[in-house]
Amino acid sequence: MADTDPIIRIRNISKFFGQLRALDNVSLDIFSGEKVVIIGPSGSGKSTLLRTINQLETVDAGSIVVDGQDLTDKTANINKIRMELGMVFQSFNLFHHKTVLHNLTLAPIKLKNIPREEAEKNAIRLLEKVGIAEKRNCYPAQLSGGQQQRVAIARALAMNPKIMLFDEPTSALDPEMIGEVLDVMVNLAKEGMTMVVVTHEMGFAREVGDRVVFMDEGKIIETGPPEHFFQSPEHPRLRKFLDQIL
Amino acid sequence: MPEKKVTIDIGDGAAIPTKKDRGLLSAWRLAFFGAVGALLYLILFHPDPYLRLLKFLPDGILITFQVTFSSIALALVVGLITGLGRISRNATINLIASTYVEVVRGIPLLVQLFYIYYALGQFVRVPDMLAAILAMSFCYGAYMGEVFRAGIESIDRGQREASFSLGFNRTQTMFYVILPQALRTILPPVGNEFIALLKDTSLVSILAVSDLLRRGREFASESFLYFETYTMVAIIYLIITLILSKIVGIMEERMGGHGRH
Repeated sequence: MADTDPIIRIRNISKFFGQLRALDNVSLDIFSGEKVVIIGPSGSGKSTLLRTINQLETVDAGSIVVDGQDLTDKTANINKIRMELGMVFQSFNLFHHKTVLHNLTLAPIKLKNIPREEAEKNAIRLLEKVGIAEKRNCYPAQLSGGQQQRVAIARALAMNPKIMLFDEPTSALDPEMIGEVLDVMVNLAKEGMTMVVVTHEMGFAREVGDRVVFMDEGKIIETGPPEHFFQSPEHPRLRKFLDQIL
Repeated sequence: MPEKKVTIDIGDGAAIPTKKDRGLLSAWRLAFFGAVGALLYLILFHPDPYLRLLKFLPDGILITFQVTFSSIALALVVGLITGLGRISRNATINLIASTYVEVVRGIPLLVQLFYIYYALGQFVRVPDMLAAILAMSFCYGAYMGEVFRAGIESIDRGQREASFSLGFNRTQTMFYVILPQALRTILPPVGNEFIALLKDTSLVSILAVSDLLRRGREFASESFLYFETYTMVAIIYLIITLILSKIVGIMEERMGGHGRH
């Protein structure tokens, strides 16, 4: 782990959905190059926590600093910060009216003023990386779920982000397609990308995670390296959770 | 997958033919060929007065088209602005747009036409045709606004979130991601409004605009052939709206492409 300042610093954040306390005084530091895997039962607040990092959810209390910029500061240019944060969704959310290639080039061309030719070259390189370049002229609806999710990862990478956020990227996939998406993520991890991953894939957590975070009822219950985490879980609630899913 | 096909059904235009109507004996065909057949029968076997009528009316058809196309173009612009206003997070803008829609929906079109025509006349001398177009657009802009609003709201929330997550702001998200998709969803209702508007332009004949209906009235009042005249006028309206509904149906099919469903 790096000795420098964390690239993401979450301090005492809380979030309410009406009466429900979705996040309860959560703090978490994530360092550059680190792979953090967040696990927990559904409704534990893990997706909400991830979505606060790029402000798809705002927080009611606490602060989030990403790459030196305080997101909770009203003057912060959130759109600029979001360019540094790639996000992959459970339901892919590819732009249905654009081809695969144009899903990748839209944001770089419009937001970074990259010339079309260069953007397309870069897009094709990324599509090759996720193994789907031959589908570049297809529309999302013509692809399988696994293919769509790989395109979604490439789309996020096309903005050249410093951090990648994954919100249950394999939960909407048929079992036989989970592997192809996880492979892409493992390769991305090997390249040194900073990754925050909400997932139920314990194999992935064990293989790739530098640190695993277990959440329940809006709180972080336990944090630790995966070996320790899966072999000698301390908290009874974590033990119960692991018993249920392993 | 989360994307679902959303259809917005606002049934005040002509029925737009769908794939189900492909059979040899569909309502559209029956109506269309019936109307064309009736027209041919009348001008071939009763050229007087029907052939004379057919020569007298085209000026009016042209005006009807001019009013329709100008009004729909303007109504689309008004509708887009109204629709965006109706979903605006700014309470004032939202209230203005919603009030406009409520007011327009609460007044009969014919009354609105009279009102705008004479209200405009209080301040400026506006050509009759322009007054008619403004009045039609004012009314249809409100309906169009509701169509745009429904279309925008039908787009899955994930599209917006994906766009935000890439760094697009609200305006960019609307124009690059949401609206292009919403336009497909709203094509059928817009086509419907278009046809409904064409029919409603017959109301502008009361404003000294020489549209199809008014030309007919002019003919009838000179010849006293009221029944024959309105038979002809009705057949021509029917043929035009049926052709338009066919065109909208074809466009809809084309735009629904990209293997989305």
